[in-house]
Amino acid sequence: MAGGRDERAWVRGAQRGSASDLEALFRLHWPRAFRAAFLVVHDAAAAEDIAQESILAAVRALDRFDRRRPFGPWLHRIVVNRAIDWTRARQLRGEIELLDIVAAPPEPEPLDGTLLASLAALPPEHRAVIVFRHLLEYTPGEIAELLGLPRGTVNSRLRRGLDSLKEQV
Amino acid sequence: MRRELERVEIPGEHEARERARAVVLASLAARQPIRRRRSLRPVVALVAATALVAAVVSPTGRSVIDSVRERVGVEGAAPALFTLPSDGRLLVGSTTGAWIVQPDGSKRLLGDYREAAWSPFGNYVVATRRNELVTLDPQGALRWSLARPAISRPSWGGSRTDTRIAYLSGSTLRVVAGDGTGDRIVARGIAPVAPVWLPRAPHALTYATREGRLITVSLQTGRELWRTARGKAVERLEWSTDGRRLLVRRGGNVEIRDRTGSPFTGIRPADGAISAATFRPGSHAVAYVTLLGGRSRVSLLDEPSRTLLTVAGAIAQLAWSPDGTTILVPWGEADQWLFIPRRGGKLRAVDAIASQFEGFPRTVSWCCAS
Repeated sequence: MAGGRDERAWVRGAQRGSASDLEALFRLHWPRAFRAAFLVVHDAAAAEDIAQESILAAVRALDRFDRRRPFGPWLHRIVVNRAIDWTRARQLRGEIELLDIVAAPPEPEPLDGTLLASLAALPPEHRAVIVFRHLLEYTPGEIAELLGLPRGTVNSRLRRGLDSLKEQV
Repeated sequence: MRRELERVEIPGEHEARERARAVVLASLAARQPIRRRRSLRPVVALVAATALVAAVVSPTGRSVIDSVRERVGVEGAAPALFTLPSDGRLLVGSTTGAWIVQPDGSKRLLGDYREAAWSPFGNYVVATRRNELVTLDPQGALRWSLARPAISRPSWGGSRTDTRIAYLSGSTLRVVAGDGTGDRIVARGIAPVAPVWLPRAPHALTYATREGRLITVSLQTGRELWRTARGKAVERLEWSTDGRRLLVRRGGNVEIRDRTGSPFTGIRPADGAISAATFRPGSHAVAYVTLLGGRSRVSLLDEPSRTLLTVAGAIAQLAWSPDGTTILVPWGEADQWLFIPRRGGKLRAVDAIASQFEGFPRTVSWCCAS
């Protein structure tokens, strides 16, 4: 894992147009961004789009980015908010029909389908705080700030989400 | 809990990372004003909606530009099409009709058809005359025909066991099974653009209306899966091989939409208009032509994004080899076909194309290893 100093140097380099520094940032942040998106949307293709678009949005805004701040939380906020929006939009648009028709390529069975299925049963906002807390390891206070929510709301979503997961797993 | 979340297996994780990496690195070029020498002709592809990506001039592309821009035609071109540089066969539409070109360069005139398209696996061809839709084998033997008025834009899709042909009869969209049975109307008021079958969804068809709407319909249920708002007249539609991106060319720009029809990204040249665009097979990379001031610039939005060449005259079509390693650029102004390796290397030119097909071909598509 790269240190904060490395990351700041990569952000500075990417701001100047260095492809190798941008690639280093990408390699550092892509795995978690993609995984976080997937755990919220439960669709690998959509997660790829969301994570990719979030990183592109971050790249476009690099000039405005304060490089004294860590890059990760900024990116994670974009990813998770887009993932929540995507899930809500899909529910509204009834995309299920299309997804049923578009046969996916053969895919391996997930190792832990139970956990995924349990996560899928939660509302997207609850999935998001679980992902923030337990995959990305933010504190409830940090999650509240990143999602623009009262801390009490974050705590209650975490508690209810975990209770629900415990019941189902 | 963290361990559990990290153990969740995500299908295609590695491939997703590599695709995203290519797109993100390509985007860096668009974020910055690119400083170039005047002689390199600025290449800027502004991407609409959600992402901005630009093409940059690579050393390989630059050498090609230098070699062709001073004259019309590539020197040292082969006098005839002796072989194809990649596997697969060409389906060529010229003023005399439809031709098939084999990998060894041998060619056969299928007949005096106005348009022709491959079946999904290249085993057959669907072709049109003014009031007739026919299917043929690659030797030109007729399988069946169907009489309908003002037939155009055939498109054959489906699986190995279940195929359908969509086509226009006037401005009516019709679909017939691959064996010629069950011909029926799907929609009316259709734009003169070939409809496209959504890959991996044998019954889902995307088409454009005269009002510039895009509609995807399930022929199994008869229900619309999605539709877009009205827009400019659509000139071309194409799904990526995996069915996750839809390329829409209209108004001199390219829109890339996702599988639900939502805008994903696009290419909008700072000047000039895009006259041709196509996905590289098996990827979301796009090759496109920008027309500007009587010249055509062929660019590749890939990793690395770059200009492949700039030539005099208008180029209206591009065709990828089925393996995505070579792109065929029909260059009417020079009466040449140019075969450009995607990863750089020697450009191969073939001369006197019009005399080989009794007129410079209007269309060419490259399909499927034989």
